[in-house]
Amino acid sequence: MESETLITVVAIITGGVGILISTVTLAIVEGRAVLKALEGMVRQPEIANRLFTSLIVGMALLETSAIYTILVITLLLGLLGG
Amino acid sequence: MERVAPQEVFQVLGISITDTVISTWIMMVVVIVGIILIRWLFPSLLERLVGFLRATISDVMDRPAEPYLPYLGALAIFIAVANVIGVVPVVTTPTKDLNTTAALAITVFLAVHVFGIRKKGVWGHVKTMAAPLGLFFLMLPLDVVGQLSRTLALALRLYGNVISSELIVDVVSDILSFIAPLPLIALGMFTGVLQAYIFVILAAVFIGMAVRKDE
Repeated sequence: MESETLITVVAIITGGVGILISTVTLAIVEGRAVLKALEGMVRQPEIANRLFTSLIVGMALLETSAIYTILVITLLLGLLGG
Repeated sequence: MERVAPQEVFQVLGISITDTVISTWIMMVVVIVGIILIRWLFPSLLERLVGFLRATISDVMDRPAEPYLPYLGALAIFIAVANVIGVVPVVTTPTKDLNTTAALAITVFLAVHVFGIRKKGVWGHVKTMAAPLGLFFLMLPLDVVGQLSRTLALALRLYGNVISSELIVDVVSDILSFIAPLPLIALGMFTGVLQAYIFVILAAVFIGMAVRKDE
C-alpha cells in the first residue's frame, strides 16, 4: 500500500476510534451527572431550580471535550482531502 | 467542510470581508430595529428579558449585576441572535467563523482585566491574580496561562458547537433534502441559545473571580 493511502486509512481509523471513545465516555459521565442531580432534586425539591441550572452548565462544560474531539477529527479528515 | 466555511465577499484595504462579517452587520440592524419595535409594542417582554439577565448574572456573581450588565447582556443577546439568525435565507451564522468566537473570547479576556483594574487598581488586580502572595513569581505566570487557556476554551466551545450543527445540517441536507434537516436545524438553534447562556455565565464567573473581595 502506498504511503498516501496508508495515511488516509490510519486517519480514518483513528477518527472513528477517537469519536467512539470520546462519545461513549461522555455519555456515561453525563448520565451519572444527571443521576446525581436527580437524586439531589428528590432529596431537596426546594433547590430543584438551582440544581437544574448547575446541571445544564455542568453538562455544557462536559460537552466541550467531545466538541474538541469532533473538531480535531474534522480537521484531520478535512486536511487529508487536500 | 468547504461549504460551511466562511466565504470571502470582498476586500477593504487588504482585510477580507467574509459573509460572516456581513451577517454581523445585518444582525446589528436587526437587533436595533427589533429592540425598538419590542419596546414600542411589548415593553413588558423587554423588562422580563433584562430582569432574567440581571437575575442570572447577579446569581452567578454573588453581587448586584449593575456595572457588568451592559457588557454581559450585550454579549448574551449578540451570541443568542447570532446562533439563531442562520435560518434566515441570505444571512449566515456569524459564530460558525472561528474569528467571530475568538473575538468574543478576547473581549471577555479584556473585560476581566478592565473590570478588575477598575475595581481594584492595577496593583490590586495583579495581587488578585497571583493569589497567595508568598509564591508571587510562580502563581502569576500560572494564572496568566490559565486565563489564556480558558479564553481559548471559550472560543473553541462556541465555535465547535455551532460548526458541528452546521456540518450535520449540511451533510443531512445533501442526503435527504427537504424535511429531514428541519429537526436538526431546530436542535442547532436550541444548542445555540444554550451556548449563549453558557458563554455569558462563564464570562460572569471569570469577571466575578477578578472583582471578588478576598479576605
